Amino acid sequence: MSSVKLSDFSIPASACIDVMARNRVDHVVTVPDWVQLALHQRLEEGLPGVRLVGCSSENQVVTVGAGLALGGKRPLLMMQNQGLYNCINTLRAVSLDAQMPLVFMVGQFGREYANLGQPSTASRRTMVRIMEPLLNAINVPFLCLDSQADLVRMDEAYALAHARRTAVVLLVSAPMAWR
Amino acid sequence: MMNLIEACAVVAKQRPSDSLLVATMGAMFAFDRIDMEAAGGDASRRPPGRISSVPLMGGAAGLGLGLALAMPERAVVVVDGDASLLLELGGLVTVANARPDHFLHVVIRNGTQFSGLGNLATLQPSLSFAGLAREAGYTHTEVIDSAETWARRFTELLSQPGPTFVELMVEQVPPRTGSGFELSEMPDLQFSRMGTELTALQQWLGTTP
Repeated sequence: MSSVKLSDFSIPASACIDVMARNRVDHVVTVPDWVQLALHQRLEEGLPGVRLVGCSSENQVVTVGAGLALGGKRPLLMMQNQGLYNCINTLRAVSLDAQMPLVFMVGQFGREYANLGQPSTASRRTMVRIMEPLLNAINVPFLCLDSQADLVRMDEAYALAHARRTAVVLLVSAPMAWR
Repeated sequence: MMNLIEACAVVAKQRPSDSLLVATMGAMFAFDRIDMEAAGGDASRRPPGRISSVPLMGGAAGLGLGLALAMPERAVVVVDGDASLLLELGGLVTVANARPDHFLHVVIRNGTQFSGLGNLATLQPSLSFAGLAREAGYTHTEVIDSAETWARRFTELLSQPGPTFVELMVEQVPPRTGSGFELSEMPDLQFSRMGTELTALQQWLGTTP
């Protein structure tokens, strides 16, 4: 059994919503993610000023997000690590070749609790372990959300995405909290 | 049946000047030709408001949906290919669920991939894309097989509330490959034009961050 206390790493959905508002997020485009389930439920209940756009695949999350950004909106793209692996070619086209700034929030599904607070590259699970090396390999910046204090990195992610005209990925380490 | 140029010419000639057009690769080349002819060969006089999902098969409907949600006051036309749409069939459900108005999703149904080059057959030639779109929840779906009907119906179809889907039955372009044929290198433009068009579209829309 792991001695890790999950609540040290879980980001409250309500805190995430506050930071989304500060970053003027007006659309959340998503294929839902187990790690971010608490936030998904809050979004599904409805948030003033935020439209939830559900998609059938993560490729559509990227293209719908790109269309929204092209139309002057501030989308946040939410998915799971498996989903990001699924849409690498679309990310390549939209954010690397066409240089559309987009911010992704990606749950590290499958991360063992014993790995929280440790490098994700030390995870025993491929799905978790290869994420950061993959993003480095394709030159997509990423920032880790390991606890509530890291939420300020969403501000950094939007600034970086627009400054460099690229995708920026926020990696959510632990299941979000229902508070 | 109509040919690809006839199918795209209806869109090029009849879409409102403030509308947005998203096209996949086969249609993109047809629009290039139509627009350049209309502009007398002067690329700077080509009509604005167009972006190509290239090289990105399957991406057109999503791009169009995002634009439609961001700018509901503008009509959006998506010209998809049958092989491209097969890559993201679930996108029909995504579009239908979001219910954009004045959103016309057209699929060029010619039954081929690499049309006019190698003409590989698309899967399931009897598949009804219009039927799938109807089941997915598009408000209105139609199959059109003549250029005259397409030209007559276009404006009304584009003005419909809710997403509209049209399956256009289009002739195959004869293949060019054969013994001794060599493929030309893909030009850089193919990989840079989506970004160039994206920047131009942002400037035209006034949405540059």
